Formats: sequence, C-alpha cells, structure tokens
Amino acid sequence: MPTYDLIVEAIIAGEENQVVTLVNQALSQGAEPQDILRNGLIAGMEIVGKRFRGGEMFLPEVLLCAEVMHKGLDIVNPLLAKAGHKGVGTVVIGTVEGDIHDIGKRIVGLLLEGNGFEVIDLGVDVKTDTFIQAIEKHKPAILGMSALLTTTMPYMGKTIDLLKEKGLRDHVKVIVGGAPVSQQFAESIGADGYAEEAGSAVELANKLIG
Amino acid sequence: MKLTSIERISKTLRLEEPDCVPTCEINIDKKVRDAILPGASYEDFIEYMDIDAAVYYDWAYDKYEIIDEHKGIIRDKFGVIKRKTAEIDPIPLKAAINSEKDLQYYNPPDPDVPWKYEPLEKAVSIFKGKRAVIATVVDVFYMVNEIRGMANHFIDIIMNPELIDKLNEIVLNYNLRFITNCINIGVDIIWITGDFAYNAGPMVSPEHLQRFALNPLKKQVDCCKHFGVPCLKHTDGNILSIMDSLIETGISGIHPIDPGAGMDIGEVKRIYGDRICLIGNIDCGDLLTRKTGEEVRAAVKNCINSAGIGGGLICTSSNSIHSGVAPKNYVAMVEAIRHYGRYPILSEVTSLT
Repeated sequence: MPTYDLIVEAIIAGEENQVVTLVNQALSQGAEPQDILRNGLIAGMEIVGKRFRGGEMFLPEVLLCAEVMHKGLDIVNPLLAKAGHKGVGTVVIGTVEGDIHDIGKRIVGLLLEGNGFEVIDLGVDVKTDTFIQAIEKHKPAILGMSALLTTTMPYMGKTIDLLKEKGLRDHVKVIVGGAPVSQQFAESIGADGYAEEAGSAVELANKLIG
Repeated sequence: MKLTSIERISKTLRLEEPDCVPTCEINIDKKVRDAILPGASYEDFIEYMDIDAAVYYDWAYDKYEIIDEHKGIIRDKFGVIKRKTAEIDPIPLKAAINSEKDLQYYNPPDPDVPWKYEPLEKAVSIFKGKRAVIATVVDVFYMVNEIRGMANHFIDIIMNPELIDKLNEIVLNYNLRFITNCINIGVDIIWITGDFAYNAGPMVSPEHLQRFALNPLKKQVDCCKHFGVPCLKHTDGNILSIMDSLIETGISGIHPIDPGAGMDIGEVKRIYGDRICLIGNIDCGDLLTRKTGEEVRAAVKNCINSAGIGGGLICTSSNSIHSGVAPKNYVAMVEAIRHYGRYPILSEVTSLT
C-alpha cells in the first residue's frame, strides 16, 4: 500500500507513532513535504471530517486524530517553511461584539487546528475594530465569525463593511456561523460562506483556500 | 380548582394534568427584571410575575477569587480561570488541571460552606409550600470539561480515561454533598445544568456518554430520589438520539428541547411525552429578542398545543431570559402561558369538532 494511504489510515486510527514513522519514511524515500501534507495528513483529516459529519466519529476521536496529525505536521512544517511553502493557512475566529457564546466557536477552532490551520482565537464579545486589527496583524486567509443572538448578528455585517473601508476585504475570506445565522443572511452581508455546524466549517475553510 | 405553584409544578412533573401550564426560568437577567420591575429583588420579581418556581442558578451566586479586577479575570471554586462577561456565565480561559501531576496538589471546593446556602435558605423561608424552590448544579461532565480544558478532556476520554474517572469522582462528590445539603434545607427540586450535546448531536460516542456523563448523572438523580425530590436536566443541542438514555437515568424533566438545534417539541412529546416532562422551548435567540409580542404569543400557543395537552409541559424559554431578551416579550410570553395554558387544553382538531 502506498505510504500516503498508510499515513491516512494511521491518522484515522489515532496512531501517533505510526504517523511519525511513516512521515519520516516517506521523506527518506524522497517524497516532497508538500505532498505528504496534502496526500497524507490533510487527506487523513478529510476522511475524519466526513466521518464526524456522518456521526461515526465524535469530538474525542476527532481531536485525537487531529493531535496525531499534528505530530506529522511538526515534521513537515519546518521543511515547508524552509522551502518557502506556506502552511495550510491561518484563520482568525471570534464571537462577535455583545455575544458571549463560546462552545461552538471553540469546537470549530479545535477542528481547524486539527486540519492544519493556524488558529487565532480572539475569544468572545470581539469588537469590530479588534477583528480588523487581528487581520492586519496576522494576515489570515480566513476570518470566521460566530453569533448566537440575532441582536449581535449585525456586527458580522459591520465587520465586513469595515474590512471594505480599510481596503482589506479582498485579502481575507469571511465565513459566518451560529444558530440564528443562515446561508441567506451570509449572502446578504457579503460573507464568502456559511457553516451550519463545526464539521462543515472545516470543509468550507478547506474549499475557500483551494 | 386553582393550585399553588408548587402543586402545579409537582403534578406536571408527575405527568398529571394541573390547572395551568407552569412556567419558570433557569435564570432571568437582572437587566430584564429591572426593566419590568425596577429595583426589585429577585424574590419580589418572582411574586410580581407569578412565576411558578424561584430558580437559583449556581453560578449566579457563586464566589470567585479575583485574579485581575480590571480585566475581569477570576478563578472559580474548582480552580478554573475565567473571564467575566456581561452575562451570568464567565468564559473559561485556563484549565485547573493541566497535567495529571496537578491532581496531587488539587484541593476540591468545600460543598459545606454556609454562604452557598444563604440565598436558598432565604428562598425557602419566603416560598416554601407556595412556589417551588429550585437549586441548580453544574453537571459532572460539563464541569470536568472546564476543569481539564475542552481539548484535553476529550482526548483523555480515549487516552487516559482513568484520569477523567478521578476528576468525575471529585465533581460528583461535591455535587452529591451539595444536592443533599440543598434538600436538607428545604429545596424542592434540583436542576442539573451542563450540555451533553450541541447542534450536530451528542459531543461524545454512546459508550463514552454512558461512562462519563450518564453514569454520574444517574448517581445525582438517585441521590435526589432517595429524598423523594425530582431532578431535572438541562442540555442544549440535539439530544434526540440520546433521549432514551437520558430518561433511563430517572430524571423527571428535560430542558430545553433546543429549537436552535432542530429539536421539535411536538415530535419529542409524541415519542417521549408519556415518560418524561418536557421543559421549553420558546426561542430566546431570535423570537424573544427581536420579534413582536404577537409572534411570541403565537409561539407560546403553538408550544402548548404541541406539548402541553394532558400535562407534562413546563413552558420556558429555550435557554434562559438573557440580557438580550426584550422585557416586553418576556412579559408577553408569561401572559400567553397563563392565557393558552389553562387546562383542559384541547387539541386543535378536537376544538374544531
């Protein structure tokens, strides 16, 4: 069986030692770090994500797979950086101003990390200006905003408007989520995507960064 | 015949038809209370609104160690570092147990501290025999998730389950003692909070849920039952797949039948209404915050018609009356419950014939 498939299997099984051994083996056999990342590590987490969305895997299993995947990432990331390759991407996430709901956002953050994203979690009750400052500082590929109250949803639109005003809108993809948020709402405020739940947020993030 | 509030709630929890659908809330934010009855105490507000139960939400009257007053950073009784927010629940920032060796030096909180019971003793002196006095306690599963940190908790469930068993035991021992103390001072009902699920469903597999969530829940329920006191359970999220398991723990009521997670209270009533009292589920995210009084009244009527026929419904919000709820909408909700909730409630089909 090709090494990438074995890496995928080891990630799904949560076998840390196997992932480390196989990644090192692949490198010693001349595999490119970028290919190990895409075809082994991320491919493994994509299957984990599918099983999570299908109800076959739950948060403990997913987080364990993510931790194991990161052991492989710890090996390839320095090589990628040396060769000038970017990692999977950076995501800034936060719950909007006036809203303190946290659990869904934290789960999304953990799953994004598990899929190789660097996650900057700004926490809850995040002012619009704070989102902008974080984007200017971290230059993320994606901004993820969460709201669980309809009274706070408008801050998502305000943040997007401020991104346009600052000339940053074209530099970052914006995804939104939370119980009262909908695809229709996301489109109305000019967001790039809407995630109904944590698993689909990761799928959407992967799709947006291409 | 008009019942007292405690009689109304007790009959409802026994799945008997009372005189009217009862109502109460896990928490009613002070901002909302003050808008309706400025400057009143919580107890006076309960009397004014004629709410069937005075619920004392654990975290609302807990004491915290101040770490950074300016930034609102505090440490809770289990040692979790949190940040205060505009709402009642502070947000966890740092776990209390970051590695197994932290357990050697860990001091669990004292469940016998007298100040913890002062609000409840006052409530019992005011309401006993008239309105239900309910004490809430945070469930073992949820509290350990904060004590250990979310990611570590979930990974430990697979990689170090014995550590989670130890942490579970610490919280369970605290909770059992707290529950017993509450009952001994006259609390009528215990309401266990803390989510097992989120929108997509249960957070953990059935096997892990049984060991780490349902088994400790059952022990708390058994403690209540030993004293003949009903025990209610709150969990947000879509819990349809675990309703049977929840009912098997012996809880008397389940809250809130989360509409935001796609739960249909009518469907839950049809399947489980003969086994458990439903508590919910007027949406507090959109409806109670920004819709009209007319829409609130319509939602209450629908909820009662869907889940209140024959009894077995305590009509509440879908979580709590948080600071974003429009006070006029909360008033409309309570008035609508009194109006549409008078028994006998006929089904819409019966009422047309």
